[in-house]
Amino acid sequence: MKYKDEIIRSMEWLSEKDNTIFLGQSVSYSGNAIYNTLNTLPEEKRLELPVFEEIQMGMSTGMAMDGLVPISCFPRFDFFMRCMDALVNHLDKMQNMTEFTYRPKVIMRTSIGSTNPLNGGIQHTQDHTEAFKLMLKEVKVVLLDEPEDIFKEFERAYNRQGSTLLIEHGDHYNDK
Amino acid sequence: MSIDKQYLIDFETEVKERYEAGEIKAPVHLASNNEDELIEIFKGVDKDDWVFCSWRNHYHALLHGIPREKLMNLIVRGKSMSVYSKEPNFYSSSIVGGIIPIALGVAKSIKMKGGKNKVWCFVGDMTFESGIFHESYKYAKNFDLPLQFVVEDNNLSTNTPVDETWGGKQEVPSDIIYYKYKSDYPHHGTGNWVLF
Repeated sequence: MKYKDEIIRSMEWLSEKDNTIFLGQSVSYSGNAIYNTLNTLPEEKRLELPVFEEIQMGMSTGMAMDGLVPISCFPRFDFFMRCMDALVNHLDKMQNMTEFTYRPKVIMRTSIGSTNPLNGGIQHTQDHTEAFKLMLKEVKVVLLDEPEDIFKEFERAYNRQGSTLLIEHGDHYNDK
Repeated sequence: MSIDKQYLIDFETEVKERYEAGEIKAPVHLASNNEDELIEIFKGVDKDDWVFCSWRNHYHALLHGIPREKLMNLIVRGKSMSVYSKEPNFYSSSIVGGIIPIALGVAKSIKMKGGKNKVWCFVGDMTFESGIFHESYKYAKNFDLPLQFVVEDNNLSTNTPVDETWGGKQEVPSDIIYYKYKSDYPHHGTGNWVLF
């Protein structure tokens, strides 16, 4: 299967779980490539949010503390940067701070913006993967490079304790 | 067990003494002069409710039912700024504004699952003025989430006056619980020099 099809298959598998919820911008309304990987899911599994990335990340953390597994979608890595406090100071430190009492499971999706056939420019195409691997202590960071890795990485993210950031390549939606 | 004002004061005094004895090797943020207000507010907090608050959290923790010995143990181990509990649900953070969207998410989850419990989020007046508060408040209000905000106003953020730095303060909406107080303790520590 191709890259995008594997992502769709992973989302459909996650949507079959009773405790999952997909949230973010463009989960119910078109506007970003991420929508085209979610539009086969039941509407009641999707929660379209305003553009407030930091609050989205904190909300996802709180929902996970209460037992849900949010699949929190951020259409581009560049936009994802707006959630740094909620990610770095809270979600990523919660197991340490609470001595493993709270181990929220948030599955985060973001994407390195594509450069082909349209190049979104410097504010829409950054890849911060290595910086996040260095910065995050508890959140696992996974770059989704090959189609055959995608489903098993989302499966691992769902089955592991704690949270995972999965980074997609916008260009691979077309070239792999 | 019913907790009265003197119980809270005595607890905080013991933390002060153990901090000054060099037993606690991490910052402590002590409270005073807001005991009556908190005792009154916590009459409305159910044991199944979630409580979120900041680095100044000892009174809130006791009033929500965290046992005295457990709380003191956390503080002595350096966890004063991040007191937590699962039963009852209690979470605190030492980053301004950080608890607010987390509290919002718990409230959203409770509503989605049809739960009857509620979320209480205690913030200072500097945090109340911040953008993250206003976005979260707007979302909670518009979606009628079970989230009760409480603003605890000492007009200070560390030693920075809130009104002076903002050039004024926002009006507090009527659905937010609000009280003012002036603590006898400094922002952190006890005001006395401690040799660790």
